[in-house]
Amino acid sequence: MGTQPVADTEEAKWQKVLYERQPFPDNYVDRRFLEELRKNIHARKYQYWAVVFESSVVIQQLCSVCVFVVIWWYMDEGLLAPQWLFGTGLASSLIGYVLFDLIDGGEGRKKSGRTRWADLKSALVFITFTYGFSPVLKTLTESVSTDTIYAMSVFMLLGHLIFFDYGANAAIVSSTLSLNMAIFASVCLASRLPRSLHAFIMVTFAIQIFALWPMLQKKLKACTPRSYVGVTLLFAFSALGGLLSISAVGAVLFALLLVSISCLCPFYLTRLQLFKENIHGPWDEAEIKEDLSRFLS
Amino acid sequence: MGYKSWGGDMNASAGARMPHEGDKDAARACLRLPGLERCVRGTLGRGRRAARAPLGAGPSRGNAGSRRKWGSCPAARPRQGWGPGAASAVVRSGRPDAVPDPMPTPPPESAARGNSRVPGMVLKAFFPTCCASADSGLLVGRWVPEQTSAVVLAVVHFPFIPIQVKELLARVQQASQVGVAVLGTWCHRRQDAEESLGHFLEGLGAIFSHEPWLQLCRERGSKFWSCKATRRQAPTCPGAPGEDQVMLVFYDQRKVLLSQLHPPVALPDHQAGDAVAGAGGLAAVFDTVARSEELFRSDRFDEGPVRLSHWQSEGVEASILAELAKRASGPICLLLGGLLSLVSAASACRVLQLWPLSFIWSKLSTCEQLRHRLEQLTFVFSTQKAENPTQLMRKANVLVSVLLDVALGLALLSWLHGKDRIGHLAEALVPVADHVAEELQHLLQWLMGAPAGLKMNRALDQVLGRFFLYHLHLWISYIHLMSPFIERILWHVGLSACLGLTVALSILSDIIALLTFHIYCFYVYGARLYCLKICGLSSLWRLFRGKKWNVLRQRVDSCSYDLDQLFIGTLLFTILLFLLPTTALYYLVFTLLRLLVVAVQGLIHVLVDLINSLPLYSLGLRLCRPYRLAAGVKFRVLEHEADRPLRLLMQINPLPFSHVIRTYRLPSCGCHPTHSWGSLCRKLFFGELIYPWRQKGDKRD
Repeated sequence: MGTQPVADTEEAKWQKVLYERQPFPDNYVDRRFLEELRKNIHARKYQYWAVVFESSVVIQQLCSVCVFVVIWWYMDEGLLAPQWLFGTGLASSLIGYVLFDLIDGGEGRKKSGRTRWADLKSALVFITFTYGFSPVLKTLTESVSTDTIYAMSVFMLLGHLIFFDYGANAAIVSSTLSLNMAIFASVCLASRLPRSLHAFIMVTFAIQIFALWPMLQKKLKACTPRSYVGVTLLFAFSALGGLLSISAVGAVLFALLLVSISCLCPFYLTRLQLFKENIHGPWDEAEIKEDLSRFLS
Repeated sequence: MGYKSWGGDMNASAGARMPHEGDKDAARACLRLPGLERCVRGTLGRGRRAARAPLGAGPSRGNAGSRRKWGSCPAARPRQGWGPGAASAVVRSGRPDAVPDPMPTPPPESAARGNSRVPGMVLKAFFPTCCASADSGLLVGRWVPEQTSAVVLAVVHFPFIPIQVKELLARVQQASQVGVAVLGTWCHRRQDAEESLGHFLEGLGAIFSHEPWLQLCRERGSKFWSCKATRRQAPTCPGAPGEDQVMLVFYDQRKVLLSQLHPPVALPDHQAGDAVAGAGGLAAVFDTVARSEELFRSDRFDEGPVRLSHWQSEGVEASILAELAKRASGPICLLLGGLLSLVSAASACRVLQLWPLSFIWSKLSTCEQLRHRLEQLTFVFSTQKAENPTQLMRKANVLVSVLLDVALGLALLSWLHGKDRIGHLAEALVPVADHVAEELQHLLQWLMGAPAGLKMNRALDQVLGRFFLYHLHLWISYIHLMSPFIERILWHVGLSACLGLTVALSILSDIIALLTFHIYCFYVYGARLYCLKICGLSSLWRLFRGKKWNVLRQRVDSCSYDLDQLFIGTLLFTILLFLLPTTALYYLVFTLLRLLVVAVQGLIHVLVDLINSLPLYSLGLRLCRPYRLAAGVKFRVLEHEADRPLRLLMQINPLPFSHVIRTYRLPSCGCHPTHSWGSLCRKLFFGELIYPWRQKGDKRD
């Protein structure tokens, strides 16, 4: 009986294990409990100007939508000749195409393995299908009310802005859905234009501004940030100018929106970051750090 | 053997009348057994003498009661059981074929040895009502040890020679495969208590050993019955008495013999605790009675060595006609069967099986109906005998259904061909078809405008409308081309009514199908177009969300599309979405028209199916002879007194009509609705073509 365990003596220290019988209740913790408390482990310090720079993606997309709507309005009013738009679009597309390869010296193209012949095929497909379907597009929504079309387009463009891939890692992001919504809106709006040529050119322009332009932007932002800021400013001012030619109130409101997104929101974010208080401790659920993927195979 | 009988000869026994038995002939059977010589004096049944007398001669005194029916026996009249305290328990039986084969009944020794009797379990004696007024004698029947019940089949009258009784029983056993044995004695006291008879009956137990030995006795007043079952050997349980409790169950032998026990619909509801026989036991009783038909074959005019009292047929009145029919049925069946095989050989000719023809045959309901009738007739006139009562019933059902069908068809034929009704019909038919086409034209023009204020795509609307209008125009010219010949066609079609009403109805259904062919075409065009749109939209909607259908895993997976794929997909999606309402409207209208036609055809099909599959013979049997189709039995208490055996009357519960129809429904012609309502709506929504009456053969390919 000399091997009686010394459980009830003072030496029996509490251990944080469940596999040994201890003379403590199950929910017992000792003084060391709060010693492991940690605060704001994963919190990041934001630099104001860095945040402003990142917000330029949002600015760009807002401006794209704005430019698209303005151009459509000009076409609908008959103030803009479709040939001129087509010519400008074609020229800017060619410039953009050349730039796209020049910026990173052809590295991206090598990585994706995409040939110029494939690019040409894609362009041909775009042009042919849009041109072929443009008469259908013209009469597609004849019997549908104009207000319905406007509501649908607004809804789709809002969807495009919401689901666009701004670089955030979130579940809601879906660049496919975003692009499809933009194309749907452009088809809806194009079907309201007076002639089928207008519709064709409008849809082509939508492809350029919603599909091709963001690709170029992404590359610009990655390779030459300075020029990217310049391009963004230029684009924003041109969108504002275009809107101003239609409605001054709209332009003022749009400018306020842009300023609040690019300046106020980053400021607010950095200020709010100071009040952040995340606590971590032994009460957190277990997190497996080790890479267990080798067990899966 | 050394048996010697001088009661066997009637002339000899007539003179040997006992002085104290006024109405009975006394007979003496002298049995000389090895080592034991006993002279027994038994009563002699009068049935034999009555049988010997010429038919015209009246029975001797007291003779009238000898073959009394159940109803004339006041004590056993069923109404008497309906007192205030009368209980009526319904016991249904189990499936007859589910009963373990009761054939090899253990001999009395083994019954005694096995002694499966539970102490206190009541012994049930099933006693035919027609034997209630029989003269004293031996009880012949079958002992069912599992149920501790004795099924009495007949009463053997005195005098008899035991070896002859045994021979008879052996013969019956061989013929019917039922273990028939002597179960006990039956004593009918007409006047005074006969002490000597009682002793004599007890003594018989030594000759026909059976365990337990039943001693049934009916008192003079015909009100009181006593029944004892004694066991010669000591029971296995020491505390149990040597005598069992006995319960007498009367049954109508004729009805039980003729009736056919059916599986129950629901579980039996034991109203009282006196559910005498279990499910298997009842089936065993029915089976025993039905199988020992051999025993009942001898009627009252037979002169066998052993005289039995049991149910006997009243005599076959129309026996000559029945006999003639029986003789003639063989050759007639042979002849008709040959004719039918000729017809079926002609229909199976290779030329008729070529591709376009076979396709047409499978689509015309007339051909299906004719084929069905041919199969049925071949089945009826096949020369092989029906194996079981179910098959026999099926043959009868088919025959009655065909006969009724042809009779109705002939009535229709005579109606049609009188007063030039066909001509009127033909004159009315063409304007009706014209009118339908005109109405359709109006409908199409309405659809080409802005129907019900709906916003349709104008261009597509015009294209579709013009297409359908052209089709309608073609149809109208076709009808006009046909109109001179319609009367002649109708006349020939009318002749087909002599093959039966169902054939005429099927032809009517086919004519409707042919006359509304344009509606069918419209429906198919609309459905195909709509289906294309729906399928395209559903897959493009997946593309719109950046998903795709994974065929291998049967699920929707996410997928990264190329830019041009996305663009073209979305373009098509938009176009299809905006064009969908127009197509859907056309589809809806034409589907409604098609459903109308299908409903009319479906009604005709239901009528044809009703005539085809209604088991008319079974229904008639149930109506006129309810006991022939039994669902179970119920028991009525006839007498329940403290120290006397409980007497019950077993009555047959007839099968409910719904159950008769369900059991004996003939297989219909194979055209049946294949869709449930849910799947029909689903198919309509997705624009799949619906053929509500699919033929049997379609499943193969």
